[in-house]
Amino acid sequence: MPLTAINLASAPLPSQYLTFMLGEEQFAVGILHVKEIIEYAAMATVPMMPDCVRGVINLRGAVVPVLDLSARFGRGVARIGKRTSIIIAEVAEAGDEAEGAQRSGKQVLGMLVDAVNAVVEIEPADIEQAPSFGTRVRPDFIAGIGKYNGRFVILLALDRVLSTGEVVELSRRTARHEQEPWPADRCHDDRHCPDR
Amino acid sequence: MNLDDALQTFITESRELLGDMENALLNIDLAGDQSEAINAIFRAAHTIKGSAGLFSLDHIVAFTHVVESLLDAVREGRVVLNDEMITLLLSCCDYLTGMTDGLAAGRYEADPDTAADGEMLLQQLRRHMGMDAAVTGDHAGALAVQPEPGVERMGGDAGDSDYWHISLRFGREVLQNGMDPIAFLRYLARLGRIAGMATVADALPPAADMDAELCYLGFEIAFDSSADREAILGVFEFVQDDCEIRLVAPRSKVSEYVELIRALPENPARLGEMLVLCGSVTAAELAAALAQQSQSEALATPDDTADVPPRLGSILVAAGQVAPVVVEAALNKQKQVVEQKAQENRSIRVDSDKLDKLIDLVGELIIAGARASVIGQRLHSTQLQEATSTLSGLVEEVRDAALELRMVKIGATFNRFQRVVHDVARELGKDIGLVVDGEDAELDKTVVEKIGDPLMHLVRNAMDHGIEPADVRVAAGKPARGMIKLNAFHESGSIVIQVSDDGGGLRKEKILAKAIERGLVDADRKLTDAEIYNLIFEAGFSTAEKITNLSGRGVGMDVVKRNITALRGSVDVGSSEGQGTTVTVRLPLTLAIIDGFLVQVADSVFVIPLDTIEECIEFAAEPGQDYSNLRGQVLPFIRLRSLFHVQGAPTRRESVVVLRFGKVRAGLVVDTLLGEFQTVIKPLSPIFSEVRCISGSTILGTGDVALILDVGALLQSVEGKGAALPALAA
Repeated sequence: MPLTAINLASAPLPSQYLTFMLGEEQFAVGILHVKEIIEYAAMATVPMMPDCVRGVINLRGAVVPVLDLSARFGRGVARIGKRTSIIIAEVAEAGDEAEGAQRSGKQVLGMLVDAVNAVVEIEPADIEQAPSFGTRVRPDFIAGIGKYNGRFVILLALDRVLSTGEVVELSRRTARHEQEPWPADRCHDDRHCPDR
Repeated sequence: MNLDDALQTFITESRELLGDMENALLNIDLAGDQSEAINAIFRAAHTIKGSAGLFSLDHIVAFTHVVESLLDAVREGRVVLNDEMITLLLSCCDYLTGMTDGLAAGRYEADPDTAADGEMLLQQLRRHMGMDAAVTGDHAGALAVQPEPGVERMGGDAGDSDYWHISLRFGREVLQNGMDPIAFLRYLARLGRIAGMATVADALPPAADMDAELCYLGFEIAFDSSADREAILGVFEFVQDDCEIRLVAPRSKVSEYVELIRALPENPARLGEMLVLCGSVTAAELAAALAQQSQSEALATPDDTADVPPRLGSILVAAGQVAPVVVEAALNKQKQVVEQKAQENRSIRVDSDKLDKLIDLVGELIIAGARASVIGQRLHSTQLQEATSTLSGLVEEVRDAALELRMVKIGATFNRFQRVVHDVARELGKDIGLVVDGEDAELDKTVVEKIGDPLMHLVRNAMDHGIEPADVRVAAGKPARGMIKLNAFHESGSIVIQVSDDGGGLRKEKILAKAIERGLVDADRKLTDAEIYNLIFEAGFSTAEKITNLSGRGVGMDVVKRNITALRGSVDVGSSEGQGTTVTVRLPLTLAIIDGFLVQVADSVFVIPLDTIEECIEFAAEPGQDYSNLRGQVLPFIRLRSLFHVQGAPTRRESVVVLRFGKVRAGLVVDTLLGEFQTVIKPLSPIFSEVRCISGSTILGTGDVALILDVGALLQSVEGKGAALPALAA
């Protein structure tokens, strides 16, 4: 199949990607988005945020929020393992209209992943458009599907995955839920539930 | 001298002067004594004109000149100031501000777009002068260029004051730049006759310190010529960048000389010499006076310039040869030079970016210091701990001093509203006054800059919607003149700014009806007064029947609220119908570093701004309730653990932090108290913008991140929730 319009139609796809694991599945992000990769360390949790916001870390004096990619994809909160890492990524901040003026520029965010694999080269010719169904990740999160070493790897559209507007919307919903009396059976956060 | 730098200084100074001018205009008491204010306004205009002349900004000079002439006429009592003229002069201020802004944008010529406005203003100015000139019998349209009859003339030989007076101060680098001062004087002689010249060598240092390559000289020249101002200035064109040149036209008024003396840069210049050199006394008078002086020299009191003949001025006055007003000006000049020196030494202009950098560095220093002290504790090294505690004490002082640098008084912001109220009242056709209180309250420069717009909105709203038309006011038994009041004061670590009016107040039923109509509240919900009033901060809310171009469109109050919330502040409105409305804005004093108090819940550490804490007590609740007994008073509390859904059982010995914010007092139940901590506020990523109770984050000595609690939002979030408080369900 020839390369057709992909989600990031305006910008040509970079050819170098960082691959990483979420559970058993391999994903990749364009190398130009990645600032650095750090080892997982304990972080401060921010209350009343959705599960996908894991907390904030001190990155050499700057306070950087960390998103749990697994939770962001609706697969439950990631378990911390030996190879758990945080990919520090930089995305352009679209900002919503009301506060667009204040929030222009770049956003630095961390992504919690199960393991980081390697930097690989994927030629644009080896990238296909995401199928309209059949993926278990939201279609708009996918920039394309790359072929590498005979395997498929999902190339993420980071601007969408790390969209501030969407996380804010999620947290607004979370906050609204928590205004209600707290249902006893709803365990908000797996990490603190010893019985799970 | 770098011209660009100097031009920047000119722009900054002009803005300040225009601000002063505006203030003085607004504060002028039409009925009472206005001489001081007029003098202040005149000085500002004159200084702008003079400085603009240095930069050859002819359009500014030309315009200011006319303004100045009118002011001069007012000062001398030939023209009586009235309300219309104040408005005109205010417009002139605006026009000058426009020109200054244009200059800042790199436009060195008059802007053709606004030239028509300028011309109109000039005509009005001339009309005022002309009108009054007719009354006093002066000839109409006479600008200062022409000699004005009835003006006090310099005493002595009439021929002398027919000369131009040129005051020259060569820049130090003139010689280095390959210019020879003598050459200019020779060239000058081709335009006319140098009637007299004196060398001002006051700046000359002792021979040992003198740099032979620098020029220390100035000249005072009486010049007999029919050439005009431009031609004379043209002589010095090559050196005008680093030279100070002042010209006084022939037959000038006393005031011109007075201004010259005021403007001269000389350090306590020899008064007598100056008077002579100004051309206000003749050589013959000088000789006579000198003779007199040499007799009395022994009697002269020694002062800091004891080596120069000090008292010539008084001798001349005694001899009746100089008008006392000239001497007074010269004396003032001497005094001012000394005072200015002292003032210059006391304050300097600093780029605010540099201050911000300093604050950032102090922030890093605090974090690094905290880290050192954590290590000291871990190593159990007494010496190290002692050293770090001394260090942190010092760092705390450095922090306070650094923050102090950014504190400015709110007065300047408040005073801007004099003009706003004046203009808007005129536009609305209402009679409204402004009372300002608490101008000395200080707050962070960043906050001051950002509070201007919201305040503007509040003031305009109060004037448009708050204050009723005069007939309604009189019918209600209130004075016809409405009053807006701006007030500022400090309260528990915040600055409180109040905008109040004595107007009709908010109409509860109307607001509620509108809110129900717009679906903002359910019709059957019972709201408290405060809740109803706060509905005006909802987006798109307006009860005004008609839209004016000032307000009433329903955009505004929500923007005000959002801007203030963005500054970690809160806004509240109180009102009583028929009596007026008060909007209270509460803002943090600083945005950078605060004194915090660390508390722990499970693994999370939170910072509470220390100013909001009253005390800490041991946890003890009344059985089955969420309040405790604080020395006989009911203290409702919030369990942070439940509010933030932190899992796990509470520790055995919980503590309660007693918080106060505004009028609300409440307890906050936490696991552990960790003590005070200097908190450098790090902004949180915008993805946390929906988290109401957290205002920022900070980095602890251990390198961990702690979140800063927003006490105001925290208390607000539980206010009035009663049983719905999540704590009960937990």
